[in-house]
Amino acid sequence: MNWKEFFKNLKTEEQGCVPDETRREFLKIGLIITGVAAGGSLLNVVSVVAEGLATSEELSKEYPYKPHYSMVFRVDRCIDCERCVEACRQTNNVPEYGWRTKILERVDTKAVDQQRQFMPILCNHCNNPPCVRACPTQATYKDKQTGIVKMASYKCIGCKSCMSACPYDARYFNEEKRAIDKCDFCWESRLSKGMKNTACAEACPAGVRIFGDLSDPNSEVYKIVHQMGKAVWVLKPETGAKPNVFYTIG
Amino acid sequence: MKRIIILASTLILGLSGFVLSEITEEGVKYQESEEAGGLEIIYTKPVKGVLFSHKLHVKELGLPCESCHTAIFEMEAFKSQRNPDFIMDSLYKGKYCGACHNGQTAFASNTKCATCHVGVKGLERLKKKAQVLEKK
Repeated sequence: MNWKEFFKNLKTEEQGCVPDETRREFLKIGLIITGVAAGGSLLNVVSVVAEGLATSEELSKEYPYKPHYSMVFRVDRCIDCERCVEACRQTNNVPEYGWRTKILERVDTKAVDQQRQFMPILCNHCNNPPCVRACPTQATYKDKQTGIVKMASYKCIGCKSCMSACPYDARYFNEEKRAIDKCDFCWESRLSKGMKNTACAEACPAGVRIFGDLSDPNSEVYKIVHQMGKAVWVLKPETGAKPNVFYTIG
Repeated sequence: MKRIIILASTLILGLSGFVLSEITEEGVKYQESEEAGGLEIIYTKPVKGVLFSHKLHVKELGLPCESCHTAIFEMEAFKSQRNPDFIMDSLYKGKYCGACHNGQTAFASNTKCATCHVGVKGLERLKKKAQVLEKK
């Protein structure tokens, strides 16, 4: 599927109800994030913090979570081998019909040279999560310590409001749990047991997925997000969700 | 008499070795057309969905068989895939596809990943194509 189309067709609570003026402002931010106007404005990349902070060190002090979990995709390395998807299914008991992560494909037969690109997606663990706002029972919530968007399945009434609110199509209804299921950065299956990496990142043979603590200047995610040599972007910045999943190439 | 004819014709067809398409554990292979110059081969190991196209290399680019066979690749499809060193690192050292895909003769093996890697989605698509050809 063409993911441009894919995302265009996804409805979010913000889209369609944002005044043109505001939307234009958001788009400007989008341009900055994609690196077109990176100089001096790269701080905006970090979807978290108040604007106007001067240096990266100051910035990291301002991260609202510790550890502030984040994932970076070096997207041009993705070959859709789907080992990540398989690893996720096994680790988190994701059924055949469901997904916590998936790979989108874009084919452009008019493109020069390479005509195919893959793009992995998962829950963006937004700082301003539309799904959490949409949930009537607080079954989905932002973890106060790690920033992971988690599910308290026993509270879920299966209304699927969060599914339609999510700009990233990161949620599905799990028939067995009778609740919405989603990526929790392997919190339940791995991180809470002392492991440091997610199953998908560990399974990736091409080094596409890099998982870590964005508030730790020694982490790889920090180093990629806080550099200026390569463009770093987020998906759908215009929704204002302030995602913690970043994309880059190389 | 009828039985003998059927037996003989299957034998002849079998011996001629003309494979339109085949889907196995090892991967998918199918012939795009008779003038393609060979099979389209989709590998599944070590990662799923890597396409080698005879149609592109022979028909469109005009490479002679000897440029690969049998010094780099044997004639049997998927034979190389059974080798434990059939991995990207070997390509970077000039083995297999890396003999040409080194950045000089053809684009380097560590660039343009999704040109050859069609992925699980590509594999499924080409499987369907091979199935259609099989029925014909």
